[in-house]
Amino acid sequence: METLGIYVPRLVTKRQGFTPGHRACSGCGEALAVKLVMKALGRNVIVVMSTGCMEVISTQLPYTAWEVPWIHTLFENSAIVASGIEAGMKALNRKGTPLPKAKVVAIGGDGATFDIGLGAISGAFERGHDFLYVCLDNEAYMNTGIQRSSATPFGASTTTQPAGKVSMGQSTWKKNMPAIAIAHDIPYVATACPSYPFDLMNKVKKAAEIEGPTYVHILSVCPTGWRIPTDMTIRLGRLAVETGVFPLYEVENGKYTLNYDPPRLRPVEDYLKPQGRFRHLTPKMVKKIQQRVSVEYASLKEKAASG
Amino acid sequence: MDKLTEIRWHGRGGQGAVTSAELTALAAIKEGKFAQAFPSFGPERRGAPVLAFNRISESEHIRVRSAVTQPDIVVVLDPGLLYIVDVTSGLKDGGALIINSSKKLVDIKLEFGGPWQLAVVNATTIALELLKVPIVNTTMLGALLKVSDAIKLDFLLEPIEERFGKLAQRNIEACKRAYEETSVAEPSPTSKKVERAYAKESWPSWQELAPGFVVTEPGNARSYRTGDWRAQCPEWNHDRCIKCGICSLFCPEDCIRPNERGYPEADLYYCKGCGICARECWTQAITMGEEVKE
Ligand SMILES: Cc1ncc(C[n+]2csc(CCOP(=O)(O)OP(=O)(O)O)c2C)c(N)n1
Ligand code: SF4
Ligand code: SF4
Ligand code: SF4
Repeated sequence: METLGIYVPRLVTKRQGFTPGHRACSGCGEALAVKLVMKALGRNVIVVMSTGCMEVISTQLPYTAWEVPWIHTLFENSAIVASGIEAGMKALNRKGTPLPKAKVVAIGGDGATFDIGLGAISGAFERGHDFLYVCLDNEAYMNTGIQRSSATPFGASTTTQPAGKVSMGQSTWKKNMPAIAIAHDIPYVATACPSYPFDLMNKVKKAAEIEGPTYVHILSVCPTGWRIPTDMTIRLGRLAVETGVFPLYEVENGKYTLNYDPPRLRPVEDYLKPQGRFRHLTPKMVKKIQQRVSVEYASLKEKAASG
Repeated sequence: MDKLTEIRWHGRGGQGAVTSAELTALAAIKEGKFAQAFPSFGPERRGAPVLAFNRISESEHIRVRSAVTQPDIVVVLDPGLLYIVDVTSGLKDGGALIINSSKKLVDIKLEFGGPWQLAVVNATTIALELLKVPIVNTTMLGALLKVSDAIKLDFLLEPIEERFGKLAQRNIEACKRAYEETSVAEPSPTSKKVERAYAKESWPSWQELAPGFVVTEPGNARSYRTGDWRAQCPEWNHDRCIKCGICSLFCPEDCIRPNERGYPEADLYYCKGCGICARECWTQAITMGEEVKE
C-alpha cells in the first residue's frame, strides 16, 4: 500500500479508487466522504451507485472519476443491483469459474436510501447478501436542487418546504435510518462523519470485512444545500457530533458502542446558527429541537451502557 | 423587427448570475417590454464558471430560445473569469463589456479594450461594504444601468424588493453605488483583441464512444481541470507547518501532496479553493489569498 509517508502518521492510502477532477461543489462534504470511503476500501471492490450528486459529478461522459469497477443504477436500485452482482459472483464460483474476491459496495444518497430505495435495501438486508451499503446523508435531494427528503431535519428550509410566512421549513422529524437498519438484525451498523476521518475509515474497513449485509451511515455536510460557506464543512460535521444531533456509534451483532461521548453536549444552537437553512428558526423551535436531541441521545446512551 | 438587446452574464455557480438575469428580465417586463432570462450550466457545481442570458425586445415577442452567442452586452461578475473564459467571444462591435474588477479602467483597457464600450466597477468592495458578502449580482445591475437603457432603475426596484425582502434596501443601495462608481471608456476601434489560449474541452463524437457509453479508461477525470473554479488560493507558511497531514486528509479534491521537502502543497490543477485546508490547519499555516491569474 502506497502511503503518505511522514504525512498523517497512521496508514492512509495515497491513491484510492476515486480521483480528483470530479465536479462536486467546492467544499463538498459528500465528495470528501466518498474519498475517505474509497481510501478505506482499497481496490478490491465493485461499486454500485444510485443516481444523485456523487454519481453525476463523478461520471460525466466521457469521463469517470472511478478507478474500480463501477456501475450506475437507477435512483432506487443500488441494493438490488448489488444483490444481483453478489449472487452472480457466488453462482459463478459455485459453477467452477473462480473469481477474485471483491466486496460489493452500494452507495446512495439520503433520498435513495431513506425514501425511494428503502424497500430494496430492506429486501437485500433480509436476504442476507454479503455487501456493504453506504448512505451519504446530506439531508435533502441535492442533485435536483435541495428538495426535502425524509432525512431532512425538522425546521430546515428546502426548496419544496421553504421557510416563509406560512411554513417554518420541514415540519416532520428526521427518519431514524440507522435504527431501521439495526432492526434488520444485520451484523454491523455504524454512523460516521468525514469530520472524524479515522473513525469513518475504521468503520468502513470493519464493515467491508464482515460477512453479510452491513450498513454505514455517513452525515455528509453539503455547503450548497445547507447554505454555509465552503470552508465550514468540517466544522459543521464536528458540531453535529458535539451537540448530539448526529451521534457517532456502531452496533455490532446487536451490541451498541458510542464512539464519541463528551462529558457535556454543546447546545444545538451552536450547530443550527451557522446554517442558512435554519436561519428563520425561532427560540421556541430551537428549544423543541434541543429537547428532542437530548431525549434521543439519552436513549442511545442507555443502549450503549446496557451493551 | 424592433431593437433586440442580448446580454450574456459570466459568473460562478453560487454567485447569483442567474438572479441578475432574472431581475433584469423582470425589470424589462415591468416596463412593458418583452424579455427572457435563462441560465446555462452543466453538472458543474458551486464555483464552476456558469453563464446566464437575457433577451430584451422593445415591443415584439421573442421567438428565439437558444443561447446568446453574439451578445450586445457582456457582464463579468468575477474578475478571475477573465483569464479562464473567453468573455468577449462574439461580443458585437459597438456593444459593451462590463467588468467587476479592482483594477483601474486604464489598466483593464490594455487587456480587454476593443471595439466596444468598456465599463469597470469594483463591485466586490461595494458588496462587502453594504451587503457584508462578496455577492455582486445586484451591485453589477448598477453598472448595467450605467451603460445600457435596456432596463431602468425605477422598474428594477420592485423585483429587487420581492426577491430580497428585508435585504432589498441594501441591495438597491449597492446597485445605486455601483451606478455612481462605474467608469466607462468609449470603444477603441483600433485596438485588437489580446490573444489568449483558453482551456477548452474537446468532446469525442458519439461514434468514437464505446457501445453503451462504457468509459474504458479508469479515472480519466484526472485530466479534467477543476482548478478554474477557484476564486481564492491556499498559501502555505512553512515556518508554521508541522507536516501533520490533516490538511491533505480533509481536502475534498484529494489534491494536497507533500513536495520534495515534505511540505504539503495543493495541486492547483484541481484545487477549487474551498478553504477547508486553511480552516482546519491547527497551526494556521495556511491562508486563503485572492486568486491571481497571469
Ligand atoms: C425514479 C427517479 N426519480 C427521480 C429521479 C431524479 N433524481 C436524480 S438524483 C435525485 C436526487 C438524489 O437525492 P439523494 O439521493 O438525496 O442524493 P444527493 O443528490 O443529495 O447526493 C433525483 C430526484 C431519478 N433519477 N429517478
Ligand atoms: S449540492 Fe451538496 S452534495 Fe451535491 S455536490 Fe454540491 S455540496 Fe456536494
Ligand atoms: S494541517 Fe497545517 S500543520 Fe498540518 S500539514 Fe497541513 S499545513 Fe502543515
Ligand atoms: S482550498 Fe485546500 S482543501 Fe480546498 S480544494 Fe484547495 S487544497 Fe483542497
